Amino acid sequence: MLRNLAARACVPVALAVTGFVIVCCMLLYTTLKRDLIDDAVARETSLADIIVKSARYTMLKDDRESLRQTIQTLGEQQGIEHARIFNKKGVVMYSADSGEVNTQVDKVTAGCVECHQGDKPLTTLGPMEQARSFTNARGTKVLAITTPIYNEPACSQGACHFHSPEASILGTLDIGLVQTPLEKSLAALQLKMTLFCAMVLILTVGGVFALLRRNVILPVRQLLSFADASSRGIDAHPPQGAEEVEALGRIIAEQGQRYRETAQELQRIKVKIVDLGKAAEGSDKP
Amino acid sequence: MADRPFANSEEEQPLGRTCEESQQRIEALHRLSRRGLWGLLGFILLTTAAVQVSNLVPDLPLSVRQTLGASPSENLISIALAVYIFSALILILARMMGGTKTYRGWSHLGYLSAFYLFYYYAKALDQNFWAVFAAGMTILSLEYYGIWSWCSEAIRREREHLSQLERKRQHGLGG
Repeated sequence: MLRNLAARACVPVALAVTGFVIVCCMLLYTTLKRDLIDDAVARETSLADIIVKSARYTMLKDDRESLRQTIQTLGEQQGIEHARIFNKKGVVMYSADSGEVNTQVDKVTAGCVECHQGDKPLTTLGPMEQARSFTNARGTKVLAITTPIYNEPACSQGACHFHSPEASILGTLDIGLVQTPLEKSLAALQLKMTLFCAMVLILTVGGVFALLRRNVILPVRQLLSFADASSRGIDAHPPQGAEEVEALGRIIAEQGQRYRETAQELQRIKVKIVDLGKAAEGSDKP
Repeated sequence: MADRPFANSEEEQPLGRTCEESQQRIEALHRLSRRGLWGLLGFILLTTAAVQVSNLVPDLPLSVRQTLGASPSENLISIALAVYIFSALILILARMMGGTKTYRGWSHLGYLSAFYLFYYYAKALDQNFWAVFAAGMTILSLEYYGIWSWCSEAIRREREHLSQLERKRQHGLGG
C-alpha cells in the first residue's frame, strides 16, 4: 500500500507538517494562555490595591460598620466569589460571607503559605505569588488575590486607635474572582486555533498532494500506460506535460518503434528461413 | 551535486550475493526496520516515566534548586522546542531524500528527555507536556517511516535477487 509514488511522497510530508503545526499550535496556545492569566492576575492585583486604598480612610477612622458594608457590597458584585479581610493572626474580621467571620485561617493553606512557609513571614510578594487558583465547591474556577494591608505612621500614631509601629502588616485583603470569562476566552481561542490548524493542514497536505498528482503521479501513470501500449505494438500518443515526461515519452516511443521494426525484421527472417527450408526440401526431392 | 541512486552503495546492491547471504541480509534488514518501533516504545516509556516522576515529586527540594540555580524561562524552552522540531524534521526529510539508512532515533530520545527535564525544572511540564509528546511522536514516527521504507525497498530487492537465484538454480545455471 505504501509502495506507490503518491504514498511515498505524501506520507512523510503529511507527517512532518502535521506534527510541526500541532506542536507549534500547542506551544502558541500555552504561551497565549499564560499571557492571559498573567494579565488577569495583574488586573486583579491592581483591583485589590484599589480596594485597600479606597478603604484606607475607613480603616484609619476605625469605622468598622462602613468597612463591613464595603466588603458586603463588594462580595455581592457579579464575578466576585469571595471578599474578606483577616487580621495578622489570621482571624477573619470582615467577610461577604457572614458565616466565616471570626474563623481562623490556616497558615498552611494556599494564599497564606507563600508568606508563612519560613521562620519569619515575608512582608512583600510579587503579583504572581499573591495569586492562587482553585476550584470552589460549585465547581467554578476561581482566581484569588491576597493583598497585605501595610502599617503606616497614621495607623500607629492615630488618636482614635493605634497599632504597634513595629508591625509591618496589619491584615490581609483576600478577594476571589470567578474565572469563567477567562475560561470562555481560552476555550474560544482553543477552538479557533484548532480550526486554523486543521485548515493549514488541509491546505498544505492537500496542496502537496494535488500538485504531485497533477505534475508527477498522473504523467507517470500515463507514461506507464504508454510504455505498456508501446510494448504490445499498439500505436499511442506520448504523454504531454513537463519536459522530462515528454522526453521520456519520446524515448519510449523510439524504443517501441525500434522494437516493432526488430519484430517485423525477425518475422521477415522467419518467413525467409521457412521459404528457404521449403525450397531446400523441394530441391532435395528426386 | 550529483544525483544519488536510491541504493547508493555496493553493500546495498544484492548482485553477487549468495542465497544464504541474501537470507541473512533480509533478517538483518527486518531487525533494522524494527529499530524504529523500539525507538517509539522507548519514547512512550520515557514519557510514562516523566509523568510518574512529575506526579510523585511535583517540585524539587529548595536545596536542589539553590544548587542548580534558576531555570530558563518557559518561553525560551518553548522556542528551543520549536527550533528543535523544525531542524529535526528538515534533517530527517533530507536523509530520506538522500536514501540513507541511518537511524537517529536514539539521540532524539536524549533531546526529548532533556525537554521534559527542563520543563519540569521550570515548573511548566503540565502545560507543555502534550507539546513535547507530539514533537517526540512526530520525530520518531518519521524516523521509523524513513528506516522502514528504506528497509522495505532493500528487502524487496533482496527477494527479487533470491527469486532470480532460484530461477537460475531451476534452470541449472548455478547460484
